[in-house]
Amino acid sequence: MRVVIMGCGRVGAGLAQQLVNEGHEVTILDTNAFAFQRLLPEFSGRRLVGSGTDDRTLIEAGIEQTDCFIALASGDNRNILASEKAKEVYGVRNVVTRVRDPLRSDLFARLGLKTFSPTKFGIDLAHEAVLDATGGQ
Amino acid sequence: MYIIVVGGGIVGYGLALELQQVADTEVAIVELSASRASQLRDELGEMVVHGDGSEIAFLEGVGARRADMVIAVTADDGANLVSCQVAKHWFGVQRTVARVNDPRNEALFLKLGVTTTVSAAAAVMAQIETSLPQHTLVPLMALQSAGLKVVDMRVQDGAEVAGHTLRDLKFPPGVLITVVVGPQAARVPDGDTVLVPGDEIIAVIPHEAEERVRAMVTVEDGM
Repeated sequence: MRVVIMGCGRVGAGLAQQLVNEGHEVTILDTNAFAFQRLLPEFSGRRLVGSGTDDRTLIEAGIEQTDCFIALASGDNRNILASEKAKEVYGVRNVVTRVRDPLRSDLFARLGLKTFSPTKFGIDLAHEAVLDATGGQ
Repeated sequence: MYIIVVGGGIVGYGLALELQQVADTEVAIVELSASRASQLRDELGEMVVHGDGSEIAFLEGVGARRADMVIAVTADDGANLVSCQVAKHWFGVQRTVARVNDPRNEALFLKLGVTTTVSAAAAVMAQIETSLPQHTLVPLMALQSAGLKVVDMRVQDGAEVAGHTLRDLKFPPGVLITVVVGPQAARVPDGDTVLVPGDEIIAVIPHEAEERVRAMVTVEDGM
């Protein structure tokens, strides 16, 4: 499938590499070309400098033909704007959005985005580890 | 009425100054930058709050639940959209207004339930267009949820409406002529008001009536 990833941080870069390894056609966006250093030199996907909230960049990235859009930039609001645009304006069927703030993650899931909050996972893991250590006392 | 303004830049600051003058209106200005917030606070006082206007927990603290309106005017479209969506869907705020920095985002904002959008580019265009003598119909404001828009029109020489009273004219259903500005003075129209070439009309019209209304006040090939 064709995938557009917004944001080449650790998660974006790692996911891009994994999807390429699985044979998918990947385009990864970042506003800063420096971020692409996180990709292996042999990464065979497409790197594109630009903002995932910008229509010109999205169109150049092939948003109109893509099967999947994943927003992994650092700002929650930008991820939400880009995702809503991908879904509502460009009709991308599979849109996944990282929203660090658990409350906003829940709200926008209720409004129809497929969101996930790594913060929520972090809280759960830390909580579990604390309880394990203290035996729940 | 309680209004929360998100963003204390030039637009937010100007808005705060205006809203301060309105009776029975309580205003909070939310500014993300600590230094800008303290600068604004020196001038505007307690109404300035330092915080993130798209952060749910913070908005709860500034009383978003009882807000009648949230106006998001930062330079960041993502923040403006999310502030409005959070206000509407989390806190049940009835009216939301967002500044649109990238004009291409306007349709998306309206589709996602922002009540009104304000675009600097569109506002400047409207200013320029309304000042052209041959301007015909310029949208001033969209009332998206009601399917209406406020427009400014100028009656052209030889237009269908020229020389007729409002009573005789068959405007499409839902068209409301609110003010007619002639060469001498503005008048609140009634059925006996005669429209003459050069009159400027402020009207509230349904979206679908725009083409018909435009055709009525202009002559063919009017711009």
